[in-house]
Amino acid sequence: MKQSKLELIVGVFVLAGIAAVAYLALKIGAGTLVGADTYMLKARFTNSGGLNPGSNVIVSGVPVGRVEKVTLNPADYSSVVEFTVRKDVKLPADSIASIKTTGLIGDKFLALAPGGDAQFLAAGALITDTESTVDLESLISRFAFGNVDQKPKPTDSK
Amino acid sequence: MNPRSFLPFACAASAFAAAAALAVAAEPAVEAHEMLKSAVDEVLAIAYDGQTATTPLALRVRPALEKYFNFATITRRAIGPGWRQFTPEQQARATTLFTDLVIRTYADRFEVGNRPGITYSKAVIPDATKPMLRELPTTIDYAGKKYSVIYRVEQAGDSWRVYDVIIEGVSMIANWRSQLDPIFQKGGAPAVIASLEKNLAQPVVK
Repeated sequence: MKQSKLELIVGVFVLAGIAAVAYLALKIGAGTLVGADTYMLKARFTNSGGLNPGSNVIVSGVPVGRVEKVTLNPADYSSVVEFTVRKDVKLPADSIASIKTTGLIGDKFLALAPGGDAQFLAAGALITDTESTVDLESLISRFAFGNVDQKPKPTDSK
Repeated sequence: MNPRSFLPFACAASAFAAAAALAVAAEPAVEAHEMLKSAVDEVLAIAYDGQTATTPLALRVRPALEKYFNFATITRRAIGPGWRQFTPEQQARATTLFTDLVIRTYADRFEVGNRPGITYSKAVIPDATKPMLRELPTTIDYAGKKYSVIYRVEQAGDSWRVYDVIIEGVSMIANWRSQLDPIFQKGGAPAVIASLEKNLAQPVVK
């Protein structure tokens, strides 16, 4: 009798441990099962380089959601980013989505700047007012090494 | 009524409704890229042909820019979420001041040099459900360097008007919003208006 009671206690303890690990895995990983109070939005970019599923979605520096999917629109080769936002965060229709970087070489995240429109984005809406990834490397190389089309500067003919 | 006999009527009615909707949302008489070309040509003509004029460039180009740019929309978008808390008088005042600031900022940085070459690419409809919006990608060749400039335009009556300009991936609206929204958070609409007035009172630094 004592033996079976001990086994039962151990079994319950093991099950509780498995449940805790599963909860942590969901919370840290996908998080979709525990974060059901969200709605889906999309944003169209000409270049979404560096943004991946799982990247943070931020408003005023506060995480409010996460990137779910990044796909290519074959019609115009634009990038469509699908992301979730907390249901209590209502975004005006003229909100701007920008891809930003934590520091100079940090992770990319999706920053949302709410606009002034009286209407709000409905679930599934597409944000077209976006700022794509700024390609720092190409900008630096253009200014550091010059441009292939650059004309010679006029020499001082004084 | 027999549902089968009703079906053709329903289809015809739907087709008629769709045709009527299309007629209402008819394409503007002017294509978006034609409007942009006209705007660029007009502004460049003023900038380059009036070099001897004594009036500042900002004043000379203002009528042309007001014709092609929707400054009311630009101001609303630039101020961001605080806009809804502005009174109508504050909105009107902010629009006037912000229009002055934008035109002055860019006009006073203009330097007469070689005329820029502009290549217009095909217009893009960013969202099929919003046919009143277009993106007009261009490449500007100026002083030996090429710059990517995208104009975002919206349908306005039988033409189009610009509501944002993206230069090398950086949005003009997003840039102004990131500056004006914190000012609103600190001091509300009066602070935004005071900030615009203060900025306009300062001499331009080139």
